[in-house]
Amino acid sequence: MVIWRLLRYLKPHSQALSTASVILLLATLADVLGPILVRIFFDHHLVPRSFDRQALILLGGGYLGLLIISAGLQYRQLVDFNQIALKVIQQLRIDIFDHVQHLGLEVFDKIPTGALVSRITNDTEAIKELFVGVLAALVQNFVLLIGIFIAMFSLDVRLATFCLVLLPAVFCLIYAYRKISTKIYRTLRKELSHLNSKLNESIQGMTIVQAMRQEKRFREEFSAINNAYYRASIANIRLESLFVRPAVDLLYTFALVLVLNFFGFQSLHGSIQIGVLYAFINYLDRFFEPVNTMMQRLSQFQQSLVAAERVFELLDDTHAIKAVNALGSPSILNGQIEFKDVSFSYDASSDGRSDVLKDICFTAYPGQTVALVGHTGSGKSTVANLLMRFYPVTRGEILIDGVALSKFSDEELRSKVGLVAQDPFLFVGDIAKNIALSRLTVRAKDVREAAAFVQADEFIRKLPHGFEEPIGERGATLSSGQRQLICFARTMVGNPKILVLDEATASVDTETEEAIQTALGKMRQGRTTIAIAHRLSTIQDADLILVLHNGKIVERGTHGELLLAEGLYHKMFMMQQGAME
Amino acid sequence: MLLFKDLMWFFKLEKKSYGLGILVLVFVALINLFPPYAVRVIVDGVDKGNLTQGILLQWSLLLLAAGFLVYGLRYVWRLMIFGASSRLERLLRKQLFEHFTYLSPQFYQEHRTGDLMAHATNDIQAIEMTAGLGVLTSVDSLTTGSLVIFSMAFFISWKLTLITLLPMPLMAWLTSYYGTMLHRRFHKAQSAFSDLNDKVLENISGVRVIKTFGEEEAEIEAFRTLSADIVEKNIAVAKVDALFEPTIQLIIGISFFLALAFGALEVVNERLTFGQLTQFTIYLGQFIWPMLAFGWLFNILERGRASYDRVNTLLNIKHEIVEREGVTDQVPSGKVVYQKASFTYPGTHQPIFKEIDVVVYPGQTLGIVGKTGSGKTTFFRLLMREFDLSEGDLRIGGLSIYEVTLGALRAAIGYVPQDHFLFSTSIAENIAFGKPEATLAEIQAVASIAAIHADILGFEEKYATLVGDRGVTLSGGQKQRISIARALLLEPEILILDDSLSAVDAKTEKAILRGLKEKRSHKTTLISSHRLSAIEHADLIIVLQNGRITERGTHAELMAGKGWYASTYRSQQLESLIEEGGV
Repeated sequence: MVIWRLLRYLKPHSQALSTASVILLLATLADVLGPILVRIFFDHHLVPRSFDRQALILLGGGYLGLLIISAGLQYRQLVDFNQIALKVIQQLRIDIFDHVQHLGLEVFDKIPTGALVSRITNDTEAIKELFVGVLAALVQNFVLLIGIFIAMFSLDVRLATFCLVLLPAVFCLIYAYRKISTKIYRTLRKELSHLNSKLNESIQGMTIVQAMRQEKRFREEFSAINNAYYRASIANIRLESLFVRPAVDLLYTFALVLVLNFFGFQSLHGSIQIGVLYAFINYLDRFFEPVNTMMQRLSQFQQSLVAAERVFELLDDTHAIKAVNALGSPSILNGQIEFKDVSFSYDASSDGRSDVLKDICFTAYPGQTVALVGHTGSGKSTVANLLMRFYPVTRGEILIDGVALSKFSDEELRSKVGLVAQDPFLFVGDIAKNIALSRLTVRAKDVREAAAFVQADEFIRKLPHGFEEPIGERGATLSSGQRQLICFARTMVGNPKILVLDEATASVDTETEEAIQTALGKMRQGRTTIAIAHRLSTIQDADLILVLHNGKIVERGTHGELLLAEGLYHKMFMMQQGAME
Repeated sequence: MLLFKDLMWFFKLEKKSYGLGILVLVFVALINLFPPYAVRVIVDGVDKGNLTQGILLQWSLLLLAAGFLVYGLRYVWRLMIFGASSRLERLLRKQLFEHFTYLSPQFYQEHRTGDLMAHATNDIQAIEMTAGLGVLTSVDSLTTGSLVIFSMAFFISWKLTLITLLPMPLMAWLTSYYGTMLHRRFHKAQSAFSDLNDKVLENISGVRVIKTFGEEEAEIEAFRTLSADIVEKNIAVAKVDALFEPTIQLIIGISFFLALAFGALEVVNERLTFGQLTQFTIYLGQFIWPMLAFGWLFNILERGRASYDRVNTLLNIKHEIVEREGVTDQVPSGKVVYQKASFTYPGTHQPIFKEIDVVVYPGQTLGIVGKTGSGKTTFFRLLMREFDLSEGDLRIGGLSIYEVTLGALRAAIGYVPQDHFLFSTSIAENIAFGKPEATLAEIQAVASIAAIHADILGFEEKYATLVGDRGVTLSGGQKQRISIARALLLEPEILILDDSLSAVDAKTEKAILRGLKEKRSHKTTLISSHRLSAIEHADLIIVLQNGRITERGTHAELMAGKGWYASTYRSQQLESLIEEGGV
């Protein structure tokens, strides 16, 4: 059950939790003692008119002292419970974030970014409400109710027993409210989401609505949904009016009549203590506030549980890539890459029908450049994705230096295989940090050298703050070419053995185009390179060119060989030559 | 309080509900003065020993009666006041939605859907709060507050009242002081949360880079720091938030202490009975809520005011396209003429079109091509009057489009936009969007022309298949073809395909174009496309570049030249050859 699983997060805080509970108990005790002191004052001093100065000072001082102690403890207890709840949420957040970091890319393909972000932030925030607003409040109010009852019993056992009938009444009320409210709430929620989706869709499609002159129909449809929501709201108002505050107040009146009659009848048959009567009336006054609060918090409860369910669902996703033990991992020394009959589909359940790669075989010897060409969707990028171990290889084998890809530790693979992605992604931070990332071995000198190596230092030095130039969201202040150069430096600073280049298709600005081409040439030297090319001019000197079509290698050879064959490569080359004119 | 003045029109509209609601509310406040009095009578009876069974029964019944009466009356005022505020919510939302239906596409380009949604939901809810809770709180805290004080002072003891209420201003001051402090800290906590949100968004978007460089642990560390920051900021909030309850408890406790201490003195001096003292303390308990609610009221009103202003700003946006006086609502038909048409986007200087002249006769097809950003879509948007020309004229069948109503103009045009948008209903309803009364046969006929009929039959629910989140996921090409069918069903005088064959493969494209030619032999069709094969068959092709028509003619004529059209056509031919695997 979701709730138990959530409560398990409290375990590490059991000590803080018990301390807070003790404080809560003490605070409640100090709280409910007040009316008892008043009762003593009434019955032992005021009624018999015996004003012993010392006793009175003691009583008054005790009353005020209890007030202050109770307020202090109450404050402590509120802060403590909040603190525990916040730490629980922090742990839950870190757990889910940690988990998401280790998920395979197929999960990121499946779940939209917004939804994932919302799981980690908003949903956990909703669970916070559950801990702070619901669970803590329920415990606090429940303890207060118990405290009031204990105080009542200590004053008059018989009347307190009578008052016990209030409990079933309260529970019946809560039960009935829950029962009916679930239905009405569900309708209200459904109508609201109906309203929101209609609104959302209408705003998005308004141009179509107008072009097709359906405004009148949409106004009518919206009006109908708006009315349905209104009716649900009214039903909710009726429900709240019948069951919540007014009903609880009515219960209070019953209780008051009960207490008054009890004392009234007793006084008919003998004298009673007026202080006890006062204290009871006072307790009754306070008895019903917690009931009101508890009823209001209950509806929040359901909402938070739904959020928790979503979070746990993601936590239970088992698409995590298993970490390979770093100890005993083979090392990449030469950088020879071998693809052996690799087939792959992003949809694992499709039995080969939607394969994006079919029986791919090739070898890149140390220091060689292998280029992949083909039209969009031919499977070029998938080769890179598999080599980076973004997706598991299920059919066929990929070997590096003769060892299966899956045998290498993450650390080894990432330090030796460098990927330059199509889309230059920058983090918020400065340029130096974007190049160095969190790698401890990278010094400031290395950053500068890498930047110089890829010819990025020229533009960086022109920036007002040089390497400390802050980068806003997604590096919007830089041109795409400049961003690309920073990404090059980021890869080169790690001095990888193997380079995977996914050439940018986006139109790179002319100022940086030259720098990029020079940089790419320099980067490839002495490294085994898998280059995914969109422009054939950049890979003419490759040792091996593979032409992919619909996931298959249809042609292979050097630039010269392929031109002579007058196949697909030849056509592509002719076309790009033509486009150059 | 200003907002109440702004909402006066609505209060007047609902004067019955509000009048009755407020009346009942005051009445309830009056009745609530009674139970403490009943307690007093019985306590005094017990104290003096002159209580009889009859008296006890009588007052008990009166108490019960008052209880039931209040229960009923509370139901009434809640229904009256909250019902009215719900109607305000409904009314404002309806007005806003209707206003939305009149606003131009330009408005929707300038405003994000999320923001508009927020106005129509959150802001309107905040206004509803003012008209409901706000009214209730101000009326109730004023009446209950003053009635209780009045009763305490005049029926029991004004001296005792004064002494007892002494600590109350301190409470008001403290809670408002906490309030500002809380507001500040809450703001910080919120911004810490939004930092975390930004971080997670960056992390998820950059997942490939993170995996490439093995940055997971560093990211988790950064996340840890941010979430620790949130905890810290939220604890700071909790530390202030937790002050409210104990402070209120303490000060009310002191008030009670004062009441009891000085009240006891009065009892000893026989200026007060036990019953009166008890009654007094119950009144004191009743006074707490109005005190607190009053502070709370300002909060509600402030939020409501800001929201009301935002909604009003939105409602006051004028429709950009205005119809001229004396326009006809006759649906225009006939040849389409762009006459020395020039256009510059409002607020910019770079003209999009300079004196463009085009004539398309009924039955003809016009093809519009050019690079991205050459103005192909704008060319259509001018014809649909999403914008007005800066100079020149646009005529359909000899009638200027500025001389017909917007409705009539739109009736003449069937538009298939670039970004196909489907509604989350069934496929049939989507196709029949502009003509809900269409028969299934009609729908199937246009679906066949748009070459989507076979696809639809392949779905489990056929034409009843739902589109969108709850239904099937359609490919871009399928959505485009449904959009085309949707426009075809209206049999418009002028059909516009705005690059709406881009996601359709070459074979299907041919089929659709053939169908269009047969079906629309007497009507005008305008097609823009990136892929030149889509307009190859057109009677007239124009190439747009830098705001002018640089090439015009039929396919054969343009291919004979050496311009942009011919070279682009050849390179696209080769490209499609490669796509097909070079065979």
